[in-house]
Amino acid sequence: MRKKERKLVVTFHTTADAMAMEKTCREFRVPGRLIPVPRVISAGCGLAWCAPLDERAQVERVMRENGIEQEALHECMV
Amino acid sequence: MNLSDSKKKLAAAGVVCGIAAACLAYFGNPANMALCIACFIRDTAGALGMHSAETVQYARPEIVGLVLGAFIISTATGEYRSMAGSSPMTRFVLGVVLAVGSLVFLGCPLRMIIRMSAGDLNAWVALIGFVLGAATGVFALKKGFSLGRAHLANRVSGGMLPAVMLGILILALASTVLRSSESGPGSMHAPILLSLIGGLIFGAFAQKSRMCFAGSVRDVILMKNFDLLTIIGGFFAVMLIFNIASGRFVPAFDTPGIIAHSEHLWSILGMYAVGFAAVLAGGCPLRQLILAGQGSSDSAVTVLGMFAGAAMAHNFGLAASGTSVNAETQEVIAGAVPLNGRVAVIICIIVCFIIAFTNKRSEGR
Repeated sequence: MRKKERKLVVTFHTTADAMAMEKTCREFRVPGRLIPVPRVISAGCGLAWCAPLDERAQVERVMRENGIEQEALHECMV
Repeated sequence: MNLSDSKKKLAAAGVVCGIAAACLAYFGNPANMALCIACFIRDTAGALGMHSAETVQYARPEIVGLVLGAFIISTATGEYRSMAGSSPMTRFVLGVVLAVGSLVFLGCPLRMIIRMSAGDLNAWVALIGFVLGAATGVFALKKGFSLGRAHLANRVSGGMLPAVMLGILILALASTVLRSSESGPGSMHAPILLSLIGGLIFGAFAQKSRMCFAGSVRDVILMKNFDLLTIIGGFFAVMLIFNIASGRFVPAFDTPGIIAHSEHLWSILGMYAVGFAAVLAGGCPLRQLILAGQGSSDSAVTVLGMFAGAAMAHNFGLAASGTSVNAETQEVIAGAVPLNGRVAVIICIIVCFIIAFTNKRSEGR
């Protein structure tokens, strides 16, 4: 089981945006993974992108350059 | 109260929901149907006069309780959000598919688990279809399927379905305008107050834990995440213990009296349609009620689609019949899926494929 640590969590308006994020990050070798949106963030059941905190600038750049719209950026224990 | 920060708490949420369902079964709900969203929406649709099948008409307080339970807990914890605008008409059609597929199998995913816990091997067969359907939905997600984003809506909009449910409850308690079965599954029910409390508790815990049958399969396939499946595990364990302890555990296919049939192909295809539609709609029938309770008008429209689908299932002869025993001859009469039901399931699956591969992320932004 993964040890919980503070991570960057990006939430999206749609599941499709989260899937697009995964595809784009794989393509540009940006570290991270898809996770269910943490319950502390939302009562919804969508997907989120989880990445190390120090990848924030790269994550934001990839989203901006590939037209992926975030709902919000969070930092929380995952 | 955070129910999802550990697997133990998630399993405990499933256990609480299981206890609520077991109590409802013990106190009078139909055998093997402690709490079935599709069946109970069908019964409520009958009570409202949306169909005229006399044996399945009863305004189920559990449905009211589930929506109000989610509404109350989400309002109390500040999680109520009135959202709308994500392809409502498509969601209505997916709601119809959820109801028709479920009533051909004879149960929603929740009842499938309950039937599995009672040893009904037909439900284990149907699980194959449900998982394959959910997997097809996941494939569509990977190919860019999207119904578009929902937007914040007028606060009152999200409260409309809970208000309608409250209205149905008041009508059931204070008037005689609603229809009520005198025989058959619709006549079997726990006392109204107990049914309502059971629904409220179930709804509140389902909201806090995000319990979802389609979501659990989706998360395992997509992310190897077992959180939601843990809740189902807790629920299943309680129902299994209850069924064994009460002598209701019968591992068999053709068991009369439990409202099930052994038409395996149609059990698989019925639940395939349900699994597929549920992933596309973003939740199983139970989850749609919960999301509607916490303010999603899109899910409320899906619920209305389920009401329409349930009515269609009986008005057009789509719903399957359960295996039964002739009281005079003691002969076992096999349950069956009528031709209309078979055609409807095929149409439902085709509709799911069309929706899945024509609604793209690029269009719905």
